[in-house]
Amino acid sequence: MSDNFAEGSAKSVDLSSLLKLEDVWKIYQMGEVEFAALKGVDLHISKGEFVVILGPSGSGKSTMMNLLGCLDLPSKGTVLLNGKDISRLSESELATIRGKMIGFIFQQFNLIPTLNTLENVMLPLEFQNADPSAAKKKAVELLDLVGLSQKARNLPSQLSGGQRQRVAIARSLAVDPDIILADEPTGNLDSKTGTYILDFLYGLHKKEGKTIIIVTHDVALVRYAERVVHIKDGTVESIEEIQNN
Amino acid sequence: MRSSSYLKMALTILLHSKIRSWLTIIGIVIGVGAVVGIMSLSENMQKDMEARLSEMDLTAITISPGSSKAMMAMGPGGGGGGSSSSSEDTNLTKKDIMALRSVDGIQYMYGQISGKEDVYFLGEEAELSITGVDPQVWQYATTDTAESGRLLEPSDNYVAVIGSGVAEDVFDNEVGLNQVLTIAGKSVRVVGILESEGGSGDNSIIMPIDAAVTLIEDAEPDVYDSIIVKAESMEIAENVSAEIEEKLMLSRHVTEKDQDFSVTTSASMVETASDMMESMTLFLAAIAGVSLVVGAVGIANTMFTSVMEKTREIGTMKAIGATNRDILMIFMMNSALVGLVGGILGVIAGSLITALFPLLGMQMMGGSVSVSLSPRLTIFGLTVAVAVGVISGVVPAFQASRMKPVDALRYE
Repeated sequence: MSDNFAEGSAKSVDLSSLLKLEDVWKIYQMGEVEFAALKGVDLHISKGEFVVILGPSGSGKSTMMNLLGCLDLPSKGTVLLNGKDISRLSESELATIRGKMIGFIFQQFNLIPTLNTLENVMLPLEFQNADPSAAKKKAVELLDLVGLSQKARNLPSQLSGGQRQRVAIARSLAVDPDIILADEPTGNLDSKTGTYILDFLYGLHKKEGKTIIIVTHDVALVRYAERVVHIKDGTVESIEEIQNN
Repeated sequence: MRSSSYLKMALTILLHSKIRSWLTIIGIVIGVGAVVGIMSLSENMQKDMEARLSEMDLTAITISPGSSKAMMAMGPGGGGGGSSSSSEDTNLTKKDIMALRSVDGIQYMYGQISGKEDVYFLGEEAELSITGVDPQVWQYATTDTAESGRLLEPSDNYVAVIGSGVAEDVFDNEVGLNQVLTIAGKSVRVVGILESEGGSGDNSIIMPIDAAVTLIEDAEPDVYDSIIVKAESMEIAENVSAEIEEKLMLSRHVTEKDQDFSVTTSASMVETASDMMESMTLFLAAIAGVSLVVGAVGIANTMFTSVMEKTREIGTMKAIGATNRDILMIFMMNSALVGLVGGILGVIAGSLITALFPLLGMQMMGGSVSVSLSPRLTIFGLTVAVAVGVISGVVPAFQASRMKPVDALRYE
């Protein structure tokens, strides 16, 4: 396992970063006034890293997450995913890239309330035109992985917060993405459940070499990170390498 | 995404939808039900009419005084002119019958008078229509058959053949053969009762014209309310009708412009009736169509609300890989399903309405109206409903598909 990790770190010095932000600006027009949420951010994230992006609310960390997740495009500068400039991609190409390469975990879990647990986990695969029986098999495996095979037929409303977030993790893993992008994944959970979720993500990182990016304001999450990116007022204040293994 | 997945997504949305969606569906149910019901009524009446047509005597030609053509020409044309041609002072007389003797293809021809008179029977009184016919010809020319007794014979005078309605329904006591009705102070003996044919004819009294003239007010000898002609065959009826028209114009010294009589074949009467029915149906269907439009607006409204409510879900789906097309298809499919469910329930409602026609006494033409919805109308109803769903879903679904994932995810 540690070999795997070492390989990951080795790659971080590689030129081909998985995600790269180059002088990225995000400017919102608020009536007459322009508001810059990001002011010339440079950042690169390598394959297999566990990165925590830390900042208070209003620091621009959500904007950064949107850009890293290809949910939004920069006003200025470039966002490179696997060396590709995402600004040059069409809306549907972006959707496909998101669907294939990025697994999202949200603070509000964002499960589809009308679909049961199994269907929720299958959904990303269905957007990728996967064979239904293969998708179902994969979803069953993943639910088993997060320990919720008993709840396959339940609707999200019948699950606890922690269970919902586990379903969301299973969903984020459905397409076997390179990157797991989590936005305040523990924000709506009690500390015990939160710890379980983070341990789980850490395990994924360790065992499968997934690139994990967590955006949060919660300093407690820092202990899982190999690298902490401190964001303040739309700029990267500092980047902290943590040698915790 | 596969179509089956779209369908599944759309179906789960529908199944989990709030009471609002079901209320929307009711709008479509009413619209489709009304349209289908009305069209079914008209279809059944059309069928009924066709059935009647096949039974009908298509060789009959009726000549009546006054002209629909003249009336129409006078309206917008403005040329009232010298000869005012109302049916008051234009009559058909024996002279006209003489003039028509030379027309080829006529099998039978007789003058006929009719009027409404009070008829007394065993102390009861009823106003019934009395028709005076030529007893020599009528028994051969008519399509009526006697259920009991006989038809009129040349030597008959104050006797009558009555419709089955007169015999059974008009008076408290049933009128039987050889019983006597009193009309305008004269005693009239019943010699025959006609088979029921389900029309107004069931309530009329048919008498020899010479006797009827004395009973009906305003009637004069040798002046007819109409002349009935039977052509030798159905094929030549139109030609005979045209020739009659020509002959009568000559003998009555009128031209097409001031024509004071009209000639109608029974076939053309059927045509006119069916034309009238068609336009009535069209009118009713148009009104029902309005309720469909209202239903469509309802669907659109519900879809807009639903899209707004599902903004976060749309954002989530886009984040996990849904393309604009995926979102568009899911919501379009949802809207089409709303239409389809409304359509299915509407068609059921429509067939219930159809089944209720006979109970409501809507036997317009008297005959039995069939009680089932035709497969053609069923498919039509469903297609219209789905189309309404799709059309009203286009704009909301498009709006949903164009949402930016970031904005949609941020939506509270």
